[in-house]
Formats: sequence, C-alpha cells, structure tokens
Amino acid sequence: MNRRATHIILAAAAVLVLALLAGEAVDPVLYTAENISTAAHADPATIEKRSPGDAASVVPRMDGLLGDTGSITLTIKLKDFESAELDLARYRELSGQFDNLVVNLDVTGTDIGEFRRNNALNQEALAALLDDSRRLEDLKRLEIEVRDGEQRMAIAYEGEALRQKMREIFTAYADREAATIRIAEHYDLNATPYQESIRHFAEIVGTVDEWRQSSGGSSTVKSPLTIAVVPDRGRYGDVLTIGGAYTGGAPGTPVEIYVDSRNAATVALGDDRTYRHLYRIGRILAGSHLAYVVAGPVYSEVAAFEVLPDNTTITLAVAGVNRTTVACSGSLTAEGRPVTGAPVVLRVDGETLATAETDQNGTYGRDLVLAPGEHTVRAEFHGAGFPLNPSTSRTETVTIEGEWFSPLPLAAALAAAAGTGWYLRRRWTEEAPAEPLPEEEVPIEPAAEDPPEVESAQDLPPREAATVLFRTLRARLGLPETKTPRDCALLFPAHAGFFERYEAIRYAGETPTEEELRAMEAEARGGDEDAA
Amino acid sequence: MRREAWAVILILLIAGGAAYTHATTTTEEFSRCNVGWNGTSNLAAEEVRSLRDLPPGATLLILAPEGSFSLEEAAYLRAFLDSGGRVLIADEEGSANGLLADLGSGMRVRPGNLASLERDHADPGLFTGYVVGNATIFAGTETVFLNRPAAVEGGEPLIETSILTWDDGDGDGRIGGNETFGTAVVCASEGNLIVLGDPSLFVNAMLAENPGFIESLGPVLIDAAHSGTGTTNPIVNAIRWVRETPPAAAAVAALAILPVAYRFGRKKDA
Repeated sequence: MNRRATHIILAAAAVLVLALLAGEAVDPVLYTAENISTAAHADPATIEKRSPGDAASVVPRMDGLLGDTGSITLTIKLKDFESAELDLARYRELSGQFDNLVVNLDVTGTDIGEFRRNNALNQEALAALLDDSRRLEDLKRLEIEVRDGEQRMAIAYEGEALRQKMREIFTAYADREAATIRIAEHYDLNATPYQESIRHFAEIVGTVDEWRQSSGGSSTVKSPLTIAVVPDRGRYGDVLTIGGAYTGGAPGTPVEIYVDSRNAATVALGDDRTYRHLYRIGRILAGSHLAYVVAGPVYSEVAAFEVLPDNTTITLAVAGVNRTTVACSGSLTAEGRPVTGAPVVLRVDGETLATAETDQNGTYGRDLVLAPGEHTVRAEFHGAGFPLNPSTSRTETVTIEGEWFSPLPLAAALAAAAGTGWYLRRRWTEEAPAEPLPEEEVPIEPAAEDPPEVESAQDLPPREAATVLFRTLRARLGLPETKTPRDCALLFPAHAGFFERYEAIRYAGETPTEEELRAMEAEARGGDEDAA
Repeated sequence: MRREAWAVILILLIAGGAAYTHATTTTEEFSRCNVGWNGTSNLAAEEVRSLRDLPPGATLLILAPEGSFSLEEAAYLRAFLDSGGRVLIADEEGSANGLLADLGSGMRVRPGNLASLERDHADPGLFTGYVVGNATIFAGTETVFLNRPAAVEGGEPLIETSILTWDDGDGDGRIGGNETFGTAVVCASEGNLIVLGDPSLFVNAMLAENPGFIESLGPVLIDAAHSGTGTTNPIVNAIRWVRETPPAAAAVAALAILPVAYRFGRKKDA
C-alpha cells in the first residue's frame, strides 16, 4: 500500500473518530457500568451519591417543634406577649422548614406526615391563642374604663364570643394530644413541653371563664347579633350558609364575617335585619372551625362548623416537547371536584422537585428540562392547607434523547481533518523520495528545438529571478512541478550544480550574485548545450 | 529478526497473563477467587475447610453461609466458642438460622429489604448503621456503612439503624402502604457469637467503606466449606492442589526450568 493511500486511510479514521467524539461531546457518559447490583448488595462506587435530604434532622426538628409549643403557651400565660410573638415567629419558621423537609423526603404518607399536619393545626391554634389573649387583656382594661351601659354590653358580647372561641380552639388542640403522644413515643421525642402547653392553654381558657363569670357570666349576656352556620359540616367545595339577624340593627349596617379570626366577608344588613353569606370551603384545614360576626361594636356568639377531609386524585401525563424538554400536565380532583390554586409537586427520579399550581379547572402544567437518559416523573399533592388528603400520581417514565450534537465540535473536527490532510499532502509532496531509476536508464533531455515557454527573470529581485530560472530549467527538462530542487538534482546530475545552488538560495536564504544569475540563466535556457 | 522475537515473547507473556487471570478467577458472589467488586479476594483471611480443631482464641468468619451444618460441625463450633474463640456469622438470607439454633443461640436473621432515609447514596439500601453495643470488632467505630442488610433478632444489639428505616416490602424505594419507620438491629451478639445481617461488608467494594471495622476485626479464619467464599473452578482447584502438594509444586517448577536449562545447555555445547 503506498503512502498516499495510508495517509488517506489515516485521515479518514481521524475524521471518523473526531465525528464520533463530537457526537458524544454533549453527552459525557461514555461508560456505563454493568453488573453493579445483586439482590445481596450494590457496588457503592457505581451508585450515585445523592442524599434524599437532611433525614438526620427530622427527629430533632420534631423534638424542637414540640418544645416550642410549651414555651409559647407559657409566655402567653405570663402575658409576655412580645416574647410570645417572637417565639411564635420562630415556631412558624421551624414549621416551614420541617414542612419542606417532609415533602423532600417524601414521607407525607407516614406518621411524620401526620405529625406535620397536626403541627400545622397547632400553629394556627397558638397564633389564635396569642391574638385572643391580647384582645382579652384589652377587653379587661376597657371594662374597667368604660362606664356607658351600651358600651359595657358590647364588651360583654365580645368577651363572650372570645370565651367561646378560645374554648373551642382549646378543645381541638387538646384532642390532638393522643396522636401527638403516640408519635412522640415512637420517635422517642420529649413530649413534656407539649403536654405542658395543653395545661397552659387550659389555664388561659380557665382565666377567661373566670373573668366572664366575675363580670356577669355568659348566661346573662345574649348578643342581639345572632349567627348560624348551615349545614354545620361540609367538605372541600361545599357551600355553607353563614347567616343570622341583628335585632335593633339598622338596615344597611355592615356585618363583618370572621372565620377562624380572619375576615371572610363583609355583607350589609338587609331590610329585614338579617344577613347571609355563602361560604365556600376552600383552602382551610380539615377539622373544627369557628365563625362569628361583628356589626359595629356588637359581637355575635361563636358558631362552630366542621370541615371533613376528602381524598384526592392526581393525574399526570408526560409528553415530549423537544429533545430535552417534556411537558407534564394533569389534574387534581377531590371526589370529582377540581381543586383550584393547589400546589403540585413534580418529583423527578425520586429527588428533584419542581412545582406547579392548579388553575380554575384543577389542571396544572409544567415543562421540565431534563438531562439525556431515562427519568421517572411523579406528581404529588401534599394537602398544603386544604381539607384534602395527599395523593400521588402514577409514576411515568420518560426517555430524553438529548440535543443534537453541537455543530461546533463537528466543525472543529472537519477543520482539523482538512488541516491534517493539507499538511500530509504538503509533506508528501516535499519529502517524497525520488523513484530510483534503473542504472542503465539515462534520462533523456528534451530536444533543444522544442523549448517550452519560459518566464522572464529580468527586472526581478535576485532570489525571485533564481526561482524563475529554476522553474524554467525544470520545465525544459520535462520535470513535473511537484519535483523539489533535490529531486531534480538526483534525476539530472548534469544540472546538479544549478539545482544545489538554487536549493541554497531557496531554503538557506542566500542571495545570488549577478554573475551567478547570468550563469543560471544560460543553463536554464540551454545556452551551455547550445554552445556545446 | 531479534526485535520480532522479543515482540512475540512480549505478546505471548501478556496473553498468558490474561489467560491465567481469566482462568483463576470467578465472578461468583463472595468468592475468594472473585477479584471483582462482589468478591472477597481482598479480604485478609485464611481459609479453613474443616471446622474441626480450630485454633482456640481465633476469629472464625462464616460469610454468606449456604447449605446446612451437620450436628458434628455445630458441636465443633460450640467447642470452639467455649475455648474462647469468636464466631462471626454474616448472613442476610436466614441460612444461618439452623446453625444458630443448633448452637443454642436465640439470635435469628430475619431476611428483608431494609431501606433508610439516612443515606448518602441514591440506593435506599445503602445507608448508615450506628454502633450501639460494646464489642471488640467495633472498637473505635461509631458508624458502619451498610449494604442492603437484613435485620437480626435476639441477642445484645451491636449495630442499629436509624429510626427512619423501613422494610421496603414492595421494593419501590419509598415508604408507603403498610410500611412504617422503625429502628432495626442488624448486628447482635451472645457472648463470643456475633450475628451480622450484612455479609456485604466483606466484599471488595465495601472494604474501603468501613476501614475501622475491618481493621478491628483483625486476622480471621474464613469458612470456605459452607459458603460462596469457597466457590472455585477446576483450574483454581488444580492450582490450589499444586500449591498445597509439595511434590506437585516441585514437578511444575521442574517443567518450567527444564526448557530453559536445555536451551542454555545446548548453547554451551555449541
């Protein structure tokens, strides 16, 4: 095989390898280990190092949350509301961190998830306890300052509403004790602060009862503003009617409706001195809730209603958008009703989390950009403050092909191949050894009577003139242009002096003299032979 | 010509080495001849094929036992334990439960699929265990990196998992359904008898993960008669027989030396 063919094969192989590498440049996984796992064990060196989250902190955080309940109720009991505010803020922050951890670790369906849900309810109860305790102190102060009978009645109405509300909240708080203690024992948590918080809570509510009794007692106070919630229980999406009457109230009087101490709506008192509001159960935790209304200075009594939990169904469909992106969509329903404004978590490969939110139709959508390879995607709903149980979609598997390989490496590879080819061709041209001639074969010089056309060397710089004369002689001798001076000298020893001198001029940078140029010109144009 | 000869010799040596390596290794789990990740070739241990006359005071490792132990063998082990020897049974299939009963032990291996959230790897079966008991083999070691262990019942706990561990019965890698979190004991002891629910701690890929434990274990004897550690092939058996039989070893050495001696002898004569 000749060298030219060798070089072509080499260049082709180089181009092939570079093209293959260019294709893999966007996907650096060149090696995939096999046989890395058996039923007994897995090779840890080949298993991706990826922690599901800070699992070690779960139990200490649960312990801390239980501990915080005790300190918050104690400071409220001691009427140190500023400290209680700070403690509550810290409790909220820790609860938020714990919630995220529970979602990340994918343990919402366990007793830790139950602890999380109870903790959310406790958080609301303690916040309400702080607000109500502050208002209670205000009422006590006003009761002393106010002498006006009507104003004193207004204080009595509000005090009674407050008392009922705090008692209801306490009942719900204490009802969670059994479940919380069971979980605390399982995880070896210190439940003493939590149990103390229940005791503190009871004492605070007890002081409200005492105050009400000392200032007339609940039985003697009957607010002219009544309230009723019909029906008194419902599920997500149900509509409850909160209504009542205000004896003595002027038509058009604004009536503020509060659910769990939060303003739910303001309606105007009708001509018949009644009011009515349709309350749709939405983002509210399952369990007991309290409603009361306020019309000017007059508070109604407290009406309780219960929100029952519903099961949910979440669906997931995955469709490819392009080579790197998939569109995840689905719907979230509770017993057939769409769940609106609910956060949906998309869990990729059991770890990476992305979020989406359901719209008014209960549907959600989110595009995910994924790395090449096979991935699992699952949609999850974690309750998130709704009276709804968590749900998980079916796990979908999606294969991402990855982007087409970048044109840049391919262009670089082609350029490198072209450069290699050019270089090899140049080397081959310049360094190819002259093919040996048979010893008996004498080069036949072309006939002098048929000289080829020659370039003029006149008026050229000496080195360029020498080049012109070299080309002239080479052409006259019938040698191809690919022959170097050395090749020419080997092929025509009779002109070796000419070619060697030109080689020195061409490659060693020497400059020929006038006499040398004249002699070279004579030889190039065949003057010597002609003379001979 | 000389260069070509050297090249041929080099290629033959490389090919011979590759052939020897291929023929003398296996891919069997826990095999002492398996140089791969799931073999035990790198575990410093002396193989024993009979449980009779074990040296008193030594440590015997019975790794991933297979088959059954005879009553006679159980009696040998009982005598070995009584003489101050230490027996470490590493099993996750429950194959050692019969032997444990014969030894009069209350410990049992409960096969399962333990998984934990307290881990650094994507595989839920690769997680951390905590040393909770006093045992020489865990001296100075606080945690042990476990590899799909089984739970051990009875005895005095030596290694426990975190509370965020569950038996992943459905194998989906996440806790759900009837699965519940709970601590599991994966290593326990009764006197000098230790049961470890994770034989994987001794495979090549795991030795570097628990250097303290492997170092504390010290020199051990390893039972090659009742477990995959003794798995070999005919070539390995032949090589082992040659090594253990001096006349055979001498014969093989002579076979190797004779051609060389013949070659040099001819040169000298010439």
